[in-house]
Amino acid sequence: MNWIMQIFSRRRVYDDLSTDIRSHLEERTDELIKSGMSRKEAAETALREFGNATSLEQSGREVWRWSFIENFLMDVRYGLRVLRKNPGFTAASVLTLALGIGANTAIFTILNSVLLSNLPVRDPQQLVLLTNPDMHGRQLGFGDGERDLLTYPEFQDLSARNQVFDGMLAADSYIQKQDVSVVASGESASDSSAQIGLVSGSYFSVLGVNPILGRVFTTEADRVRDANPLAVISYGFWQSRFGGDPSAIGKKIRLLHTTYDVIGVTPARFVGETVGYAIDIWLPLSMQTEAIPGRDYLSMETNPFQKREWLQVMGRLKPGVSLAQANSSINLLFQQYLTAQTETGMSADQKRTFMTQRIAMIAGGRGASTLQAKFGKPLQILMGVVGLVLLIACANVANLLLARAASRQREIAVRVAMGAGAGRLFRQVLTESILLAGIGGAFGLLIARWADSALLRLVSGGRTPVPLDVHLNAAVLTFTLGVSMLTGMLFGLVPALRASRADIGTIIKGTSRSVIGGAGHRSRMPMGKILVVVQVTLSLLLLVAAGLFVRSFQKLSEVNLGYDRDHLLVFRVSPTVYGYKGPAMMQLYKDMLDRIAALPGVRGATLSENGLLTNQDTNDPIIVEGRAAKTGEGGDSSNSDEIGPNYFSSADIPILMGREIDRGDNGNGPRVGVINQTFAKYFYGGSNPLGTRVSVITPAGNEDFVVVGVAADAKYHSMREKPSRRFYVPFFNPVGNVGGAYVIVHESGNSAALPASIREIVKQSAPNLPAPDISTMNEIVDDSLTVDRMVTKLSGVFGGLAIVLSCIGIYGIMAYSVAGRTNEIGIRMALGAQRSAVLWMILRESLLLVLIGVAIGLPAIAAAGRLISSLLFGITPADPLALILATGLMFLIGALASYIPANRAMRIDPMMALRYE
Amino acid sequence: MKTQEPRDLFPGALEMMILQTLRSQPLHGYALVQQIKRTSNELLKIEEGSLYPALQRLLKEGLVSAEWGVSSTNRRVRIYELTPRGAKHLAREVSRFEQMFEGITRVLAPAKS
Repeated sequence: MNWIMQIFSRRRVYDDLSTDIRSHLEERTDELIKSGMSRKEAAETALREFGNATSLEQSGREVWRWSFIENFLMDVRYGLRVLRKNPGFTAASVLTLALGIGANTAIFTILNSVLLSNLPVRDPQQLVLLTNPDMHGRQLGFGDGERDLLTYPEFQDLSARNQVFDGMLAADSYIQKQDVSVVASGESASDSSAQIGLVSGSYFSVLGVNPILGRVFTTEADRVRDANPLAVISYGFWQSRFGGDPSAIGKKIRLLHTTYDVIGVTPARFVGETVGYAIDIWLPLSMQTEAIPGRDYLSMETNPFQKREWLQVMGRLKPGVSLAQANSSINLLFQQYLTAQTETGMSADQKRTFMTQRIAMIAGGRGASTLQAKFGKPLQILMGVVGLVLLIACANVANLLLARAASRQREIAVRVAMGAGAGRLFRQVLTESILLAGIGGAFGLLIARWADSALLRLVSGGRTPVPLDVHLNAAVLTFTLGVSMLTGMLFGLVPALRASRADIGTIIKGTSRSVIGGAGHRSRMPMGKILVVVQVTLSLLLLVAAGLFVRSFQKLSEVNLGYDRDHLLVFRVSPTVYGYKGPAMMQLYKDMLDRIAALPGVRGATLSENGLLTNQDTNDPIIVEGRAAKTGEGGDSSNSDEIGPNYFSSADIPILMGREIDRGDNGNGPRVGVINQTFAKYFYGGSNPLGTRVSVITPAGNEDFVVVGVAADAKYHSMREKPSRRFYVPFFNPVGNVGGAYVIVHESGNSAALPASIREIVKQSAPNLPAPDISTMNEIVDDSLTVDRMVTKLSGVFGGLAIVLSCIGIYGIMAYSVAGRTNEIGIRMALGAQRSAVLWMILRESLLLVLIGVAIGLPAIAAAGRLISSLLFGITPADPLALILATGLMFLIGALASYIPANRAMRIDPMMALRYE
Repeated sequence: MKTQEPRDLFPGALEMMILQTLRSQPLHGYALVQQIKRTSNELLKIEEGSLYPALQRLLKEGLVSAEWGVSSTNRRVRIYELTPRGAKHLAREVSRFEQMFEGITRVLAPAKS
């Protein structure tokens, strides 16, 4: 008989088996009657001799089937029936689980797309990164040790000479938005901004990304500079700007002064090598000077200490080559390259430092990321937090199940009496739990979908959403399924073990009362209480964490920025994009500043090339006159900014010595500069810096300024930064080139009409410039705290959820306890116990549980504190206020949750209680 | 040695005895149990019911076949019969068992003296 036949004929086989067994028993009974027994006695004897008929028939049946699966399906059917019969219990458990699993799925979805997902490219596991995936920018200078980014000549050299890769690609690590026009034939050009990515010709072929339309770049595009005005566009850009029209191929788009031919469209899923940025337009690296005017990032640097590091570089390993082999092989080539560069006359010392440069190769399948460094650690912490919330939820459901198990003892006993084995019952009860968790998980997925879009809005800070793929995918589904299964097993294990050890003797012969209160009560309490203690411990952990994050966020918000955050308006203008250059551009800036400064309610208006809290900065090597060259801490270099007149008085940054840069510093005369306090301390110690000369080493040669003032330090990039060296030179007498800039306006009041007046002035000064997007400094500060706000808000939400769940847990256990002790309390009262004494007795019981939980929790916090200390600002994980508040709140919750049961106990009428017995 | 304690069977023993018993004649379940009990002189501890799962295993593997028939007490019963495959299986199992038995005997032999 083959197995398909077996399945179809099984019903008959089972019937035959039953008949067999029945006739065996009848025959034996008949025989025993013949030998002189009564019918009843004979039937019992026959059964006894036969053994456990139910279980034997079952094992006879199991011979014919894949019993595991079929038992499972049977258990599922039965479980569903049980859950349907207890809608209250089912709803409470499913809701609890859905919240717990939903929170986990939501955080995991984001964690997965930020930290775990591979790029949607061919065989991502073969890709390696030669650069630091978290690093983005265009640095001019020299980085010793492990290199973050590579230069174009370095990429070219390694690309040409290596034997370990099937191909290498390079991409501009600094992805920026630029204004582009689509030049459609006959129509007027329509402007909008787009993310631009400069990439090597090999980019698409090495990644294995094939165009869905047209073609992509080839290495031909790298050959001649500025001769390949070609553009590959993303699916999204194609849809939004060309309406998905196939005739987009061959159309032209305009960026700055150059027109590019659209040659291809990439698949919808591919948005570039950097997670967190969705690129709209890819251009060949060879077009760099057209796309980023004013700088040459492609040529070999004349001075090897002034590398132009700006590229993310990846390679695709040849089959059979390991990462370690590739790493040593590439570093060997890199050493050869560096050695050749040292032959330009370096001192032995310089040579030694120079040769420390090396490439740190890592797996590259996940691509580069702007989000990993920013969100990685917070997401891991949040994942831990939601994990704890789920554990608390598990404890609640386990307690519910235990309470229900007490009322199900009869059912279980009957099944044991019918011959169900311990293993069978264990599986049955566990299946029910997993089923419950599965339903919870399904609802959890729905919650997670909603939560993820809310979360993305939260982290995006209200501006353009972070392009993250938070759709359901295999990894997320697997995670949710796994978590649900695990959850089900976790909270189902204790009830299942208890069911399989059910003692039918006591249950069946006991009265209905003993089922609820007697034997079951005594054996259940310790387990339930242990679960509550666990809940208290975990909740305390979450409360303390939430408290710490709130306190830390408070400190972050109160950081003294060094400028007046309440009265500054900031917006960026990019006149170069619209054809302004040279003196015309400078005149535009001057006009705009004058007219804005003349507006009523404006105390001052100025310019800053790098702005404040923008993550944009300039860093150059410098020589300070009369000071010996320093080593360490970046040596002789400093960050800098080009600023408009009266910058310091407009932004309210105090000038400590000398004067600020004013309208007179406009290029007619020697260039002046202002240094900050840290710069002064670092280079001058206690001596007077005023009047000394500083040389800035630029690609075009050295440019000098004379120090005329010292300004106080400020927060340039973030609330958390340590003071750093900085010098300021006039925007109207700059070092190198200037182009776009931030306009900073100091308003004296908070006039709602001011932004409109400013936009009007911009429009009048430069009609072809788009209306500027004006932010207050406070909005910019808020934006810079997005991650901290996210962690603070979410830990608060999850801490609150933990409290609610624990509250329910404590309430449940105390209510149950009071119900079980009704007549004990009645007797106490009959013997003269005061009502207040009864109230206190119950409260004490619950507070004891909290106390034990806290006693376990506090040392655990000391250990866990280190995990989150890197996210905290201005406080330690042992912050007394957070610890005391959380502990106090926990006791309050304990008292609150047990107040209703305690109150009920207090109102017990002794006569009623005794009669109840 | 005092009174013989009934012994548990080793795995496969029950199946072997069923096949051996069926070799002489086809029997229905109840008769088969009685026959085995009688032949073993009640030395073996056999739970009567355990015969049925064993019979199901043999049926599934095609070592015995079953036909509906009527018992001596006029009941509709299933009569089990050894198949040629079952006979071959039995021969192989018996020789394996004898081998094992001989091995055990040899090892235990010195202990007897």
